[in-house]
Amino acid sequence: MSRKSFPIRSTGGDLRDLDQPGYYPGYSTMAQQKSWDRATRNVVSQRLEETPPTHFFSPQEAALLGAVIDRVMPQDDRSDARTIPILSVIDQRLHKNALNGFRYEDMPPDQDAYRLGLKAIERMARSRFKQPFVELSIHRQELILKSLHDGKPDPEQAVWKRMPVHRFWALLMEDCVTAYYSHPWAWNEIGFGGPAYPRGYMRLENGLPEPWEKDEQRYDWNAPVDSLSELDEQGAPPEHGSLHGHGGGH
Amino acid sequence: MPHRLGPMQTLPSPMRKFAESDVVDYCTVGVGSAGGVLVQRLARAGFRVVALEAGPFWDTERDWVSDENGSHELYWNDLRITGGTHPLALGANNCGKGVGGGSVHWAAFAPRFHPSDFRVYSEDGVGADWPISYWDLKHYYELLEREIPIAGPAWFPWGDPHGHPYGPHPLGGVGDVLVRGCTRLGIRTAAGGPVAILSASHGDRPHCIYRGFCLQGCKVGAKASTLITHVPDAITHGAEIRAHSMASRISVRDDGRVDGVVYIDRDGREQFQKSRAVIVSGYAIETPRLLFNSACPGHRHGLANSSGTLGKFLMAQAGNVVAGRFDELIRLYKAPPAHALSEEFYETDRRRDFARGFAIQTVGPLPVAFAKQMIAAMGAWGWGLRRVMMDYNHWATLGVLGEILPWEDNRVELAEEKDQFGLRVAKVTFNLHDNDKKLIEFGKNKVMEVMWAAGARQVVQESRFAHLVGAARMGKDPSTSVVDKFGRTHDIPNLFICDGSVLPTQGSANPGLTIQALAARTADYLIQQGDAIFFSNRRDLAEPRIRYDLSPPYTRFKGNPRLA
Repeated sequence: MSRKSFPIRSTGGDLRDLDQPGYYPGYSTMAQQKSWDRATRNVVSQRLEETPPTHFFSPQEAALLGAVIDRVMPQDDRSDARTIPILSVIDQRLHKNALNGFRYEDMPPDQDAYRLGLKAIERMARSRFKQPFVELSIHRQELILKSLHDGKPDPEQAVWKRMPVHRFWALLMEDCVTAYYSHPWAWNEIGFGGPAYPRGYMRLENGLPEPWEKDEQRYDWNAPVDSLSELDEQGAPPEHGSLHGHGGGH
Repeated sequence: MPHRLGPMQTLPSPMRKFAESDVVDYCTVGVGSAGGVLVQRLARAGFRVVALEAGPFWDTERDWVSDENGSHELYWNDLRITGGTHPLALGANNCGKGVGGGSVHWAAFAPRFHPSDFRVYSEDGVGADWPISYWDLKHYYELLEREIPIAGPAWFPWGDPHGHPYGPHPLGGVGDVLVRGCTRLGIRTAAGGPVAILSASHGDRPHCIYRGFCLQGCKVGAKASTLITHVPDAITHGAEIRAHSMASRISVRDDGRVDGVVYIDRDGREQFQKSRAVIVSGYAIETPRLLFNSACPGHRHGLANSSGTLGKFLMAQAGNVVAGRFDELIRLYKAPPAHALSEEFYETDRRRDFARGFAIQTVGPLPVAFAKQMIAAMGAWGWGLRRVMMDYNHWATLGVLGEILPWEDNRVELAEEKDQFGLRVAKVTFNLHDNDKKLIEFGKNKVMEVMWAAGARQVVQESRFAHLVGAARMGKDPSTSVVDKFGRTHDIPNLFICDGSVLPTQGSANPGLTIQALAARTADYLIQQGDAIFFSNRRDLAEPRIRYDLSPPYTRFKGNPRLA
């Protein structure tokens, strides 16, 4: 089941079934792959071409996590053929139990954290709206997820007494952005230069594009009208120290 | 295919292999920033050296990629437990695995510590004094700046003013923001370095191409890591680097001296490398972990821990990232993340209500890292996250690098859990104290002020921490420190520690250069002591003669400019 909710160009009209959202129309990092080294080309091409099958999650868990991902990392504006796989990347990490080098002392292992978190989300849906999470309207799904984002689960759930909700949220979000923003289609969307060895860059200052990059062509757009996930100037969560392993360090 | 170390350099072949029954002079554990320099010098001086490294021996052309996610294996990804009031993120944040260690993925800022860093307790009544002064290390700073070599301005005004052997790099968009914002506030800046990145070619290493993937391992070979700066020379001079070898225990004889290292090889088999002395260079978590895991009768609380300070006084630096959104395009992914800074707030200022200070530095998160920062700094998710990321090219990011003092309750211990080898994993506890919190608050606000002054339309910040030092500190007093001023453990005459874990304080300079300078000094000491290390329990604390004849190729004819 696929339910979508489209962002709207402020001059009118849904932004739907786009091959490439963002402000860099016609920009393609993959068009540059001939100028990359072989090892990088292999890694990026594989990401583009292969979607590994689901091993770790059960079909029910996969459907539920898929619905969660559709809200926390929405791609309703992207055409089906240009939807970036996220669930399969998370599944593969957990299947291999690939760690990021540490676990918070108040957190269960990543595999357990996902199973527990999904269980809690499903219970919250049934207790608040008397329906499975995947069958809720998009708005109701967002109500539940927003309460996790805010660190105030509504309704309360026993799982969140055992596992800090802000850490689960960070785990989920970081896995989602790791999958999305390591995909070349996302690089095209945000105008990132992509791999650059051995060619390198020559225009370092003033944000100027390289010959193969594109100028920005901005347009205004709005999230779907009832969406709760738009940026909120007061939306920064309380500080919990560094939550992730790679801050573009010094 | 030859084993490639950058596009031009290949691994010297064949590498010497010691037989299982050989007793070598030195068995070292960990080939990172310190281990690489140390082993290179010991080999040049003619010692028989085996260096154990838990991770792989990178072939940079085959193993490294211009890709964030594809570089996951560069980091120490094995399980550790992290806790305390301000738990440290580990893994990619601060820990390497594989030959070159963390120097493979450091951003390569290479400032020296200031003279005041060695006298923090005397000058400020907090932290600790070092058993050495800046002046004991100065010539090693100069030597390593030539060996690595460091690019930066010919005149660097802070601390002990000095210049850098290679010229500064051109500015990227983020460096422009740092210089512009600081200048409007009357804050002095340095641009184009000091960084351990080549601005001109050096022997078989090309200069920088400004592609921005420093933290993913420099395929170009422009950014220094000991994998390409010191390890090849170590192998040329007869050292064996044994990769995929996870040290599990240091073996202690009945007479109280160590006689080798037990390790698990790439096939999962336990091996024992006999040696006349052992040097641990595993960095601030694995070094104390190995010493704790080596506990034995006579050393119930871990080796070299009669003081009870092993694992304690662990430090990380405040690494808050301040992000500013500009109307104009920045494209922060171009140029090395590390390329401009200010140390104007480095020293204690009596007008402020805290001791010590911080630096302001450029950072350059690639898309995945930047998205994680926006999750933390703005609470971005869903459509908001998609929107802020579409503006990726409009953001600039500056880092606070703040000195956090050494506290006894910040520590490394053993957790109950075990790793894939059956070894107990490390548990890291980190708490901020009053001085640290005041310093971070001031530093964070100052950098946000810089960002506004540069013309940002929106400024947000994320709390995080950078680097790891301490946990086996050096000192004069064996009851309050683990090693002496040369890295020799107070308890065991032929057991040494040589890495960032010996630092008593950390300043607000990135520790890499200091770690390498200390490693060269420890090597000179061992070389000067000669066979006495292997046979005598006498502790000679005389300063060694600095050995200018043990540098890797291409060091000669380089200079340290002085524009006094």
